[in-house]
Amino acid sequence: MKEYIKELFSGYVRIKVVGSYTELFINRCIEYHIPIWDISRVNNDTILLSLYTGDIKRIRPHLKRTRCKVRITARKGFPFLVKKVVYSRGFLSGVISCILLILILSNMVWSITVNGATPEVEHKLKQVAEELGVKRGEFIFQLPTNQELQQKMTESLEEITWVGVKRSGSTYHFEVVQKQLPEKQPPLNARHIVADKKAIITKIYVEEGQVQVKENDYVKPGQLLISGFIGKEDKSELVPARGEVFGKTWYVTDVSIPLKSTFETNTGEKEAKYSFGIFGFHLPVWGFSKPEFSQYETIVQETNLRFLKWEMPLSFQTKELLETKEVTREYTEKEALLAASQVSREDILSKTSENAEIKEEKILHHEVENGKVNVKIHYEIIEEIGKNIPIIQGD
Amino acid sequence: MAKWKHNLKGWLTRRLELPADAVMDLPRITMVGQLHIYIENHQGVLKFSNDEVRLLLKNGQLVIRGEDFMLKTILPEEILLEGKIEHVSYLDKPKN
Repeated sequence: MKEYIKELFSGYVRIKVVGSYTELFINRCIEYHIPIWDISRVNNDTILLSLYTGDIKRIRPHLKRTRCKVRITARKGFPFLVKKVVYSRGFLSGVISCILLILILSNMVWSITVNGATPEVEHKLKQVAEELGVKRGEFIFQLPTNQELQQKMTESLEEITWVGVKRSGSTYHFEVVQKQLPEKQPPLNARHIVADKKAIITKIYVEEGQVQVKENDYVKPGQLLISGFIGKEDKSELVPARGEVFGKTWYVTDVSIPLKSTFETNTGEKEAKYSFGIFGFHLPVWGFSKPEFSQYETIVQETNLRFLKWEMPLSFQTKELLETKEVTREYTEKEALLAASQVSREDILSKTSENAEIKEEKILHHEVENGKVNVKIHYEIIEEIGKNIPIIQGD
Repeated sequence: MAKWKHNLKGWLTRRLELPADAVMDLPRITMVGQLHIYIENHQGVLKFSNDEVRLLLKNGQLVIRGEDFMLKTILPEEILLEGKIEHVSYLDKPKN
């Protein structure tokens, strides 16, 4: 039994020994403790016998002494079986194609799950995802990154506030936060509308409440504009004051604009390069030539290939070279003033309430200093000046 | 001298009931029907063919005749022969 197991695992050969003194050869093998077995005679000067692979070298001197010739007729046992299997073309190609198949399938999108969305929104989301390329059977390394997906999907779906994109293996998870439908506004509390800043009133619309000021009145911050008390004095009633009060306000801005400035812009020309990465080395696949641009910025996107759940040291890299140009901008004094006015207008409008309107713009003062133009501009603006304050009733 | 030693050994086996094959270097032959023959204490193979095997013994030879012989196992002092065994006979060492 032990011998049998050894035969299986160490591998043995069937050899043909040809010579006139084959019996002598057998005896010598026994004498030198070379295990041989299954000896049979083929003809007068030929015998067949089995021998461990490792002993083939050891029989050589005995062959010489007994003037026998040897030929290996068969190789048997586990090691030879393995060799035979591994080197057979079918098996090898099977293994390779299996690995390749798994490799390809591991890098495909297989399922998409959506969490936290109503069926309707989920359907829409899936459609958007499909437009972006996230659908079953698509290669993962061809898809935009998760951040990009997240941004694009959040932008294109009105019903959602936020969508979280997570990829685990070949599955995309979308975590959706849906917009809450505006609930019914709670009944307003009684309140006044007062002035937020000093202004001259230009227009008043009142929906509810009692007007306390007239057009062309000058108001200070905190002054009552629309009162929440209505009715006669002895029968006064509290209401939430509602309405809009527009007033003329004033702002002064200080802007300084450099006369000469340089910056980089993209010219719109671009080139793409693709490469395969193996253990951190990159092998270009497409785009070997040096870029035609002298100045460019590169955007690198790298996706790792996966094998089942493991990330592999193989990656696919897309490099985009965007041509850039250094642009020097020079302003004359007049142009600089124009630019300054533009900058300060934007600045003002970002500070004031939404429906503000610039009524008048006046350059108070400007000077050129160290290659910069410092400008002081005065603005007259019509904007809403009202502010709600709740009425807190005493005692 | 040799003869005296041989006689002593014969006496020992008879008196002390020691196994004869161990004491006297005789072959021990076990047969399973006609299928196997198992020979211990041989001194080497003289002839091996499909229908005849001659083994060297201490004093003489062992001749096995039959058909389709195959030496299943062969070790320094043991042989397992397979085939159809028809005839087993001793040849005495020619006396000089």
